Amino acid sequence: MKEPEASEYRIARLRERLADEEISELGVQIDMRGGYVHLWGTVSTTACRSEILRIAETELGGLPVRADLTVACATAPERPEELE
Amino acid sequence: MIRVAAVGDIHLAPDSRGLLRPAWETLGDCADMLLLAGDLTRHGTVEEAEVVADEIKGLPVPVVAVLGNHDYHSDLQDEVAGLLERAGATVLEGEGTVLDVGGTKVGIAGTKGFGGGFAGRSAGEFGEPEMRSFVRYSRRCAADLARSLLDLREQGCEVLIALMHFSPVPDTLAGEPPEIYPFLGTYLLAEAVDEAEADLAVHGHAHMGTEHGMTAGGVKVRNVAQPVIGHAFALYHVPVGVRIDVPAVG
Repeated sequence: MKEPEASEYRIARLRERLADEEISELGVQIDMRGGYVHLWGTVSTTACRSEILRIAETELGGLPVRADLTVACATAPERPEELE
Repeated sequence: MIRVAAVGDIHLAPDSRGLLRPAWETLGDCADMLLLAGDLTRHGTVEEAEVVADEIKGLPVPVVAVLGNHDYHSDLQDEVAGLLERAGATVLEGEGTVLDVGGTKVGIAGTKGFGGGFAGRSAGEFGEPEMRSFVRYSRRCAADLARSLLDLREQGCEVLIALMHFSPVPDTLAGEPPEIYPFLGTYLLAEAVDEAEADLAVHGHAHMGTEHGMTAGGVKVRNVAQPVIGHAFALYHVPVGVRIDVPAVG
């Protein structure tokens, strides 16, 4: 009987899929922590975040996932930096 | 003092239409220019570039941009650049432009740049044709940046800014996995910036990196990738003429 695919390969394939296909997202870090697949980083929109979580679910095939993805802030900065 | 607003890696697509416009419309109050450090789209499609064009059209400050690797992904980089130009931006690749800011000539030289790694741990132009062409391309980007910065200096620019997508230094990559540094930038870009004694170097590309860095020659480097700066743009006040040290006579 075929063994379930190693989590390393599933994670690598998820990373490739996020980079290459639907959303071209290179800014998400994915690693294993305490038996969970940990997704973290900053993405451009909330729609983008939902899409990443959807793709992760299909690609990781049941591996438990914890996500800590923040959405980039689109406001003006409070103050400038004075360069000397 | 020159007020520089800059951001990269905004990765716009139809679902993010209008996202940055409200903040960018305030630029007239706080900045003399907006620099875009590449990765303006997600896949480099015409549809996505049109979203970027709508965001920048009619802004109260001049917009100067370079493209990033995402903007090349559909092999439509010329079309993407053309759309941004028609919306009023100046898109640079291996060339420079001069802005007159209240009588001060500010030169901006731009290139997407490329990878290869940093001094002591970098790729060489050796071996397979693919490897040689990778390194040759990166060298060409850096050489074009050096030449355009020096041209701007000769044209009498008092402030010189280098705009790129890939990083010239490893400092601003801190937070990224060290294994991927060679894909995030090259010291060749820093060498170009130092050769021309630029006043500021601005880049994007490294979403997990940090904002502040400096070249070996002492030029300040800022990573303005939107996830790093956490705003619609970062704002820098660049002093004019501090490098000219005139001794007092008398």
